[in-house]
Amino acid sequence: MLAIKIWNNFKGYVIIRIEGLQLERLLNLALSQDIYLWDVRRLNNYQVEICVSPKGLAYLIELIDKVGCKYEILQKKGLPYFIERVKHRKMFLTGFILFFLIVFLLSSFIWKIEINGLEQTPQEKVVEYLGDNGIMSGTPKIRISEDEVELLLMNEYNYFSFIEVQKKGVKLIIDIKEETISPEKVDRSYPANIIAAKKGLVEKVVARNGDALVEAGEIVREGQVLISGAMLTNESEIYLVHAEGEILARTRYESEVIEPIVKKIERETGNIFKQKGLKINNRGVRFIKDIPFTDYKEYIREEKLFDFDIIDIPINIITYEYREIEIEEIKQNIDTLKNSNQLKAIEEINLQIKEGAEIVARDIKHEINGNNLITNVVIETIEEIGKKVIIDN
Amino acid sequence: MKKNMDSIKVNLSEALELPIDITLDLPRICLIGNIELSISNHKGIIEYDNQVIRINSKSGIIKVTGNELEIKNILSEEILIIGNIEQVEILG
Repeated sequence: MLAIKIWNNFKGYVIIRIEGLQLERLLNLALSQDIYLWDVRRLNNYQVEICVSPKGLAYLIELIDKVGCKYEILQKKGLPYFIERVKHRKMFLTGFILFFLIVFLLSSFIWKIEINGLEQTPQEKVVEYLGDNGIMSGTPKIRISEDEVELLLMNEYNYFSFIEVQKKGVKLIIDIKEETISPEKVDRSYPANIIAAKKGLVEKVVARNGDALVEAGEIVREGQVLISGAMLTNESEIYLVHAEGEILARTRYESEVIEPIVKKIERETGNIFKQKGLKINNRGVRFIKDIPFTDYKEYIREEKLFDFDIIDIPINIITYEYREIEIEEIKQNIDTLKNSNQLKAIEEINLQIKEGAEIVARDIKHEINGNNLITNVVIETIEEIGKKVIIDN
Repeated sequence: MKKNMDSIKVNLSEALELPIDITLDLPRICLIGNIELSISNHKGIIEYDNQVIRINSKSGIIKVTGNELEIKNILSEEILIIGNIEQVEILG
């Protein structure tokens, strides 16, 4: 019933009142002409209200004239009549179109630039820099390419280790990850805290500006505020400064290298065993035979059976190649191995240690566990662990 | 002669299990409670007002009496009456 109602509304229909004496005859004539009528309501002896489709209406009016009745169209309902009415209301229509146009127009601009993850660089500077290069709120989306913005930032700030630019709706979202830069390079005109770049035991605190929150002998974790840029005045109001100072802390680096004492070396003997298989539509058929080697390496090669450029026939021939290998065991000298392990571990640590760090202790442990020689190297240094982070970024 | 023909038709449709309303061109009257009545295979409306509707058919005049009767649908094959139906008579 609902479906019919929707269909009628879609096609449009007319409610018509007919006045006359021979109404039954009219209905029968309409029936014989196959005019679909619904909601036939008898008002009184000489009046009836009928719903009829616009197409049927023309035929019905003909019949009404023939029978000698009068009619009056009460209402025109449905989509076609609605459109007809709207056509006359020009301002309404323009408003309707204008609305969509404005929504479309406004959503094709970037209205907000959101920068996340900045710590050492003042956000204003980045926004200003982007603005100088034509990327600001109010720029059409089409003129901004994510890759270009990324390149732009990469070129200007070489210590950004990760940049991701996304256009989301009317927002330009820039996610940044910074590498730690030396405190001197941070812009001094912005208030900043000094936080711990890594875990350590504080040895010495020199706060030239700002409030030192830690003392020598304290253990600090990564990210903890060491010198705060938020200072209290005598009237207990907060004012912000650019914190400066040095924090020397004892930090620890650890590296572990595991190396087998008896090393296995694989060598091909030159014996090769081949097998063919067929693959149709990613389903493989393989002609299984026993592989006559105990140790081997498997190489699989796929070739098309028919190689046409135009049609891709998914039948492939697979060649399985087994090459026999000999495994030779070599026992390594433990002392040499210890040395090489130690060198490897120290090399690894050296990559992490900052310049200017003073090495105060070195501890090397070797341990044999089954076939493996485990070398553990711990290096302790005293180094500057402060990292400036701009407040309110 | 006509009676003979009809009885043959009845026998045939019984034998072949054909619906009898189709072979004999009879109306199918379907009453749902006392609120809806559908008549397929009718032969036109004779009288229509809020209390009485008379519809012509092969088996005679079907007279529907009740209150607030209304023709919901009319097609050449089917007619649907809604309202408060009190009586359905077939006047042969």
